[in-house]
Amino acid sequence: MSRVVFCEDDPMIRKLVETALRSTTHEVHIAVDGREGFALIQRVRPDVVFSDVSMPVMDGFELADAIHATPDLAHIPIVFMTASVQREQIEECFRHGAAGHLAKPFTMAELRARVAQFSKS
Amino acid sequence: MRKLPRSLRFYVAASTLYAALIFIAVQFIYTIELAQSGIVIALRDSGDVLSSIQLVSFIVWLGISLIAAVIMYRLAMALAGARSAEAEAKTSEERKDQELGSIFGLSSALAGPQDLEQIGAYFVSAVRGAVPLDMTLALIVYDDVLEAFRTVAADGPRAGPLRGRSYSAVALPSIVRVRVIDHRQSLVVADTSADPTMWAKVAEEMPPLAGARSFAALPLVSRERLVGALLLLGERAGDLTPDKAQLPVIMGQYVAGSIHSALSVKEAEARAEREGLVNRIAQRARASLDPTEILRGTVDELSKALGVSRGIVAAGESENDLSVLYEWDAPGVPPVGLGARSIPVASFAARLGRTIVVRDVHQDPRFAEPETATLDQLRVVAIAATPIRVGGQLAGALALSQIDRAREWTADDVRLIEAVAQELRVAITAAEAFERQRAAVVELERLNRAKSDFVSIVSHEFRTPLTGIQGFSEMMRSEELTLDEMREYAGDINKDAHRLNRMITEMLDLDKMESGRMKLHREPLDLNTIVSESVDRLRPNAPQHPVSLRLDPLIGEMTGDRDKLTQVMANLLNNAVKYSPNGGEIVVSTRVEGNTAHVVVRDHGMGIPKEALDAIFERYGRVESPATRHIQGTGLGLPIVRQIVQLHGGTVWAESSVGEGSLFHVSLPLRTDARSGVAEAAS
Repeated sequence: MSRVVFCEDDPMIRKLVETALRSTTHEVHIAVDGREGFALIQRVRPDVVFSDVSMPVMDGFELADAIHATPDLAHIPIVFMTASVQREQIEECFRHGAAGHLAKPFTMAELRARVAQFSKS
Repeated sequence: MRKLPRSLRFYVAASTLYAALIFIAVQFIYTIELAQSGIVIALRDSGDVLSSIQLVSFIVWLGISLIAAVIMYRLAMALAGARSAEAEAKTSEERKDQELGSIFGLSSALAGPQDLEQIGAYFVSAVRGAVPLDMTLALIVYDDVLEAFRTVAADGPRAGPLRGRSYSAVALPSIVRVRVIDHRQSLVVADTSADPTMWAKVAEEMPPLAGARSFAALPLVSRERLVGALLLLGERAGDLTPDKAQLPVIMGQYVAGSIHSALSVKEAEARAEREGLVNRIAQRARASLDPTEILRGTVDELSKALGVSRGIVAAGESENDLSVLYEWDAPGVPPVGLGARSIPVASFAARLGRTIVVRDVHQDPRFAEPETATLDQLRVVAIAATPIRVGGQLAGALALSQIDRAREWTADDVRLIEAVAQELRVAITAAEAFERQRAAVVELERLNRAKSDFVSIVSHEFRTPLTGIQGFSEMMRSEELTLDEMREYAGDINKDAHRLNRMITEMLDLDKMESGRMKLHREPLDLNTIVSESVDRLRPNAPQHPVSLRLDPLIGEMTGDRDKLTQVMANLLNNAVKYSPNGGEIVVSTRVEGNTAHVVVRDHGMGIPKEALDAIFERYGRVESPATRHIQGTGLGLPIVRQIVQLHGGTVWAESSVGEGSLFHVSLPLRTDARSGVAEAAS
């Protein structure tokens, strides 16, 4: 059982993630943008954060920077979900301290495997 | 009496000596033989007989030897003659010249190549001996390089003003020009006061002749070519008559050949030098494709060869937009500066399509203010300019100028300048091609960037709905779901599929509109209705954005494509919401302005940087910044708006300040003539 925070602005993907992980034992929290996500992370102290990059108000990279700048959150791994599979953007994800990358569209198995990978068993 | 030729004398002497030797030998033999034969002849009695025999035999031997000598001489001559046949083959004219030359002692003086000044000096001193001592002589020579007559030698009391002068053919007195130059006849005026009118005219046309009391102008013709003329000015009437002019005429005939040769040598040298220069320049022009390098090689060389102060190459397709492409300045000459500027003479040459030469701009009636002021500023006094044409079209001009002093431009200078201008076509063409290519590369790079931006935007935008479609369908396939869940997920898939479809449609629509394949379905419509319906559709999706509507009731009916105008409003309103993520009022207003309907959509969002206000209407011209990175879109919304508005014959523009919001203006013609404008052109 582990806690996972998702930050995603697209309502359809939010719903998909929520539905896909409903059958697992993980505690899933979902935010619509980086700002809301950061507040959520501070509150629930998740084991892993999955974040979209393109989001209003505060995007995924800004969120990552904010997490890394907060000492007691800095250890939390962040996995970016991007629609772009271009090398430059994936590299940028890792420059912002990503622990992993999940390309959209992703399969449910991929999603669950990634969540499991970063979860405390 | 003619002396015997030297070689014949040798043969005669040899034969005589031979005959004498034989005679002595024979006499000796005879004396001995007679004594031995026993015939005793008393000296006294037989002396006559013996001496008669001796004399006869001597004469016979002498005759034989002389005949032999002549035969041998003839033989030797025939042999020598055969050897010198070539040397003998002189034209009769040359022999005549030689004879004449030897008569006047000019033969040795004029043997071999000479320059004109030397020939002139010898000639004048030779003629001097044949005319009265106070007569003035002037030898004028037609110089092909100058295309003018030039005094090469002058002597006598009136020689001063004639020395070192050159006259174009038209500058000579008309009577001399017609009689002497054109018809190649001698002109002799025995008494200049006999016909004062005629002489006054001559004196006016050529003042140095004014004081002469008698005058002669003799043409100098060699091998059908008029090479010059001899002018004689007598101090007394009757000093010159046709008879007295006879000797100078004959002497002139002789010297004409030498002048001709000297001129030919000079011309050949000048031609060779010119051709050498043109070849050198042509080689440089073709050795490189870099226009600057070509210009450096050619213009510098030409300018130095002509000894001008400044050489300019200007490019341009009309005489009014010439722009300095290259410039060479002699040391100490202020540069004109590259780029577009007024270059009056080059423009003039470009307009006339031929070479213009100006000796002194201040004395040239073709130039006045403000051209002269421009030229004065550049200190230009003399200038030669020629147009450069490529394929019959004006491409530029070449101008060479002399600062601070006047300059005569010779026909040779002009030919050289024109030849170089020909070569410069290569440079100008290359420069243009270079520029075109550079522009094409820049444009291609821009298009390529836009394309890859588009690919990345589209791939990003398309993958988002695809994620939903793929994910939900996967769940439906592999998980135990209730019928309600099934329905729900199918609905979600359907929504994302629609979203994807909309994106694709938008792209295709824009493509159609931009290529002019989109047709409007015109019908009468009420713009206010379209605006308010669009706002009604927006409201439920934008709870954070209060929308206020200010409609002008006077708009009334207009014609247009209802669906397309609805799309315009939807795109503008969606943008207003999308780009004001923190909410804020959206104001939509319509009003009549003359014959146009003006729709304004105002938001209080993030605003648009000034430099991007035009670009946002371009395809994929979305403002990319951290603030807009999250905003979804194909980058086609505003380009579609612009296309639709333009198809309706209207305009769209934006004003904005960053952080305060944006205003999008749409102006549509109210009572469109159905046949008008872009709409028809597009359909």
